[in-house]
Amino acid sequence: MADAGQGAAAGAGQGGPAAKNAGAGKGAGACQGQQEAGEGETLLVCAGQRGNAMALTGLSPSAAARGLRLGQPLAEARALFPGLDVRQEDAAADRQWLEQLADWCDRYTPLVACDRPDGLLLDITGCAHLFGGEASLLAQVLREIGALGLHAKAAIADSAALAGAVARFGPGGVIAPGGGRAALAPLPVAALRLEAGVVTALHKLGLRQIEALLDAPRAPLVRRFGPDLLRRLDQALGAQGEPISPRRPVAPVSAERRLLTPIDTVEAILSLLAPLAEAFLPQLEERGTGGRLFELVLFRVDGIVLRLSAGTSAPLRSPARIAALFSARLANPQTVLDAGFGFEIVRLNVLHDGPYKTEQGRLQGASGEAEAGELSLGAFLDSIAARFGDHFLLVGTHRESHLPERAVETLPAARALLAPAQGRAAGQTLSPVFARPHRRPIRLLDPPELMEAFAAEVPDGPPAAFRWRRLRHQVRHAEGPERIAPEWWRDGQGAATRDYFRVEDEEGYRFWIFRDGFYDAAHLPRWYMHGFFA
Amino acid sequence: MVQTTMARERLFALREQIAKLEGHAAPALVAQARAEALKACLDAEETDAPVGAQDYTPVPDRLALRIPALDQALEGGLPLQAISEIRAESHRDAGAASGLALALSACLRARHASGNPAEGPQASPRRAGQPLVLWISDRFCSREDGRPYGIGLEGFGLPSAALIEARPRRLEEALFAAEAALQSGLFCATILEIAGNPKGFGLTESRRLSLRAKAAGRPLLLLRLSGAEEAGSTALRLQVAAAPAQARRLPDGTPLAGSLGNPVFRVTLEKSRLPAPLTFLLEWNPHACQFLPVASADDAALARPAHSGAVPAASGHRPAAPPRQAGRISHG
Repeated sequence: MADAGQGAAAGAGQGGPAAKNAGAGKGAGACQGQQEAGEGETLLVCAGQRGNAMALTGLSPSAAARGLRLGQPLAEARALFPGLDVRQEDAAADRQWLEQLADWCDRYTPLVACDRPDGLLLDITGCAHLFGGEASLLAQVLREIGALGLHAKAAIADSAALAGAVARFGPGGVIAPGGGRAALAPLPVAALRLEAGVVTALHKLGLRQIEALLDAPRAPLVRRFGPDLLRRLDQALGAQGEPISPRRPVAPVSAERRLLTPIDTVEAILSLLAPLAEAFLPQLEERGTGGRLFELVLFRVDGIVLRLSAGTSAPLRSPARIAALFSARLANPQTVLDAGFGFEIVRLNVLHDGPYKTEQGRLQGASGEAEAGELSLGAFLDSIAARFGDHFLLVGTHRESHLPERAVETLPAARALLAPAQGRAAGQTLSPVFARPHRRPIRLLDPPELMEAFAAEVPDGPPAAFRWRRLRHQVRHAEGPERIAPEWWRDGQGAATRDYFRVEDEEGYRFWIFRDGFYDAAHLPRWYMHGFFA
Repeated sequence: MVQTTMARERLFALREQIAKLEGHAAPALVAQARAEALKACLDAEETDAPVGAQDYTPVPDRLALRIPALDQALEGGLPLQAISEIRAESHRDAGAASGLALALSACLRARHASGNPAEGPQASPRRAGQPLVLWISDRFCSREDGRPYGIGLEGFGLPSAALIEARPRRLEEALFAAEAALQSGLFCATILEIAGNPKGFGLTESRRLSLRAKAAGRPLLLLRLSGAEEAGSTALRLQVAAAPAQARRLPDGTPLAGSLGNPVFRVTLEKSRLPAPLTFLLEWNPHACQFLPVASADDAALARPAHSGAVPAASGHRPAAPPRQAGRISHG
């Protein structure tokens, strides 16, 4: 079945630098295909909705050889070949697969863009020499893509549009600088990525090849076909720039290791991290920064790319600590890393960096102690956050609210303790009204629990006894009420005023209870348990 | 694992026999005598004016609670390089147990901040910034007894920014966090909250944590809520229950009738070097960051009116109405 699917993919891939996946290669239909294969050759095609009709969207090599073409109506194809094996196209799977392939191409250059539906654009500026020149790079790309089981065509040219045109409609290969005119001249006008209407109009006038447009006077062409035609032509010739939008932000600092033998153990990956971090240390030093967000990119041999990221609370340079960060990240039970047949490239990126404050080391003393297993607070918070997530360690910070549950907001510890500008610590900036509240319990129930109160003083006294969690507590002593009015600007007019009491029962348990609302003729207010004192 | 009464009796009998053979005084009698002396000491201390005035020698890896009799019973105070367990019999005592753990943390913090060099190298502040306390919560306890509340802690002697709360999903995560925290040496106290007697926290785990604590020289307070006594590697186990608070004192020293003063804990030394358990009452003064002994049979403090409000005068012309019920309705 896998063979049938890849055959279709290869057929569809004739047009572009990369191939297109036939998503419907696997399924019940494949069995039929094999049965018919016994009688003779199978013509495998993919079909999808185009306009109001079904049209062919992918062809196997044999189908292409028999004269079927992309975009042909399915009914026509069926009339020609009644035994046609038709699969429904799966555009989403095609897109996803192209994205995966783009990830895979990250090994050549960090700037990879998808040229939908069936192409990839790689900006190889400054990369080609790493692979032994442009021709050698092109050969390597084609060889390695071929090893994935794909038919692909590729071209290297001065502009993205020219490379795309030559790869899709021409012979491919490397176009030397300045050779754009010559390479474009024999190609059909459709290679300029024009709208279908414009292409038809050009055909009607007998302008079938780009050659006819190259030396034609420009003004009449613009009058007749609009500015788009000449813009596309200029882009192909490199006279007008066309930005490639990369799929991911390009990491400012990065280091990678290519491996002869694929690795598949966590230990092996971890052992590579410190050398990688060591490798980009000079780059960080040159920039005067330390990394805030690191990304570990693992290229699997079968073309899947896995990414893991880990953040830090403060800019970080130390290779040992970066390695420790990922060690904790990989120890997270929720991290699932399917090594498959192993990883062949391991890359460490710095996605964000921030100014790094260098401190002069001491000759002896405290710095030695710091290396002997002592961690700074930032390192501890980072390693815990990498292992268990940001919201594992929390610190309560005060907010300006009288409602107990709103008066404290919990923030991730790294934000609250290490970046006090964001998390207001210790209530220094609170207005004095909120800074010193009345006595509050040490443990707060969230949400408050309903309880039954008996013989409460009317209108605003404590109950004589209450039943909570099926136990009856006789109030021996109570302090209160402390009246907390609702925040009408947040809760609306209907919110009730609370009267809080500190009560102690006969056994010495101390509770914080409140009455929700006032007594009125219609109903009795309810009582809640909200917290516990020591 | 719980030491049954029978087993304890037999142990005492054996000890006495050994003592007789060796010609010492019987340990049970000695223990009882010591316990009685301690109790008398604790009770007597309440009336003493300055608690800090008695001089005692600070022990290096112990946190002195500044109550000489108690410190003597604990061989110098709370062990600083070991696990101390604080156990609450049921979830109702969670408030008291958490209170004691937080109060001890506040003491540890104060000791850390003052950095008295006479108390050994561990006491000196290693880095700038305030000393931190890590509270590793338990999911079940958080639902059942609530979470630590920052503003409440502020009034309890512990600034809310000094307490980091960890919220593990499982016990293994909690144990990992406790171990990492001890190892880092960043926290002057680590509180590990445990619900009941889980299987995942047995002898091995407790031994492991205790070795970590010893290696790092940092204390771990094990807060076991609603759990039974369990054998483990803890150096000290305190059972805590709530006790009625005393009335607040007016400036002239007289108690303000009908007020709720500082929290009081009923603490039992369950596992310590003392041969017999000892129960006493401790009051926590958050402002002075200090424990004070409370006379246990203080019946006068317990006999307070239930309601602070004035009791309405009985109506003269209504013969049968009980005055305490006037002005109340019953509902529920």
